[in-house]
Amino acid sequence: MSELLLSRPPWYVVGAILGLVVVAAIATLNARVGVTGGCSAWVERLTGRAAGLGVPGWLVLGVLAGAVLFRVLAGGDTVGDGYGWLTRTFTGSAEAVVPLVLFGGGVLIGYGAKTAGGCTSGHGICGTALGSRASLVATGTFMVTAVAATFVLGWVL
Amino acid sequence: MTRGRLTALVLGAAFGFAISWGQFTDPDRIRAMLRLEDLYLYLMMATAVVVGFAGTRLLRRAGARTLLTGEPVAWSVGAPGRRHVAGGVLFGLGWALTDACPAPILAQVAQGSAWGLCTLGGVVAGIWLYLRRQERPAPGLARQRRWPATSQVQSSTTLPSGSST
Repeated sequence: MSELLLSRPPWYVVGAILGLVVVAAIATLNARVGVTGGCSAWVERLTGRAAGLGVPGWLVLGVLAGAVLFRVLAGGDTVGDGYGWLTRTFTGSAEAVVPLVLFGGGVLIGYGAKTAGGCTSGHGICGTALGSRASLVATGTFMVTAVAATFVLGWVL
Repeated sequence: MTRGRLTALVLGAAFGFAISWGQFTDPDRIRAMLRLEDLYLYLMMATAVVVGFAGTRLLRRAGARTLLTGEPVAWSVGAPGRRHVAGGVLFGLGWALTDACPAPILAQVAQGSAWGLCTLGGVVAGIWLYLRRQERPAPGLARQRRWPATSQVQSSTTLPSGSST
């Protein structure tokens, strides 16, 4: 089991599962799959802006539960050692920069996704599958920006 | 509603399990994707979109009703606007810096990554900042409150009850 889960399955297997989740959410609840909306539901609930979590908030709990289940069944994680290019670039005492970069990047992700009305799951997979032009525009924009920024970061650092 | 919550929980769990298995949680995998060195994640997303597109269209064409609420299967889509581009740019920059997006960040945390907690803290702060900004009155309204129009000043001869002046 561990060997199966810790090796990456063919792309069409994972893709089909995610696509079926989108179909099942519509088939059962007419709901969209969006993780930023779920995170926002938690922030709104915990800051007294909303009385309940709603479907998106429970979906986010499920994402956490699914990843915990994976970790238990696989007997290992799929995050890797350290944190990618950041912990390879900033070493020794400079490693203190890494949490700041991650936090700052997280702020951009949270603020940007709320402004755009969704993230990779909400726009990139679900919205696009539902034929939303807004999702296509948002997805195209964040994909192109992320690819371009990654190349720029690679040249600078 | 309990059945709705349970369904959302199960669907979320399938999502979290699948992105963990597909190694969306590994920043090096995401970096290879963003450097166009590994097409796995693009192909995976494309498959998800095709399956989702076909499945939802089949349901709607068949006139299906949702299993839990009994409503006709339906959805609406909004028109693109400036916010989709502006938000997309910010989101893309954050994605490039952290090599992660919201679902993988949650999965990283659930798998025990302390680095993921730093990113999640930032995401929560970003959402909170957005909500705070939305709650602020529009600049026009704020100006109107500070400098009421002449007609309003002239007409407000009767002070509201409880006024201290």
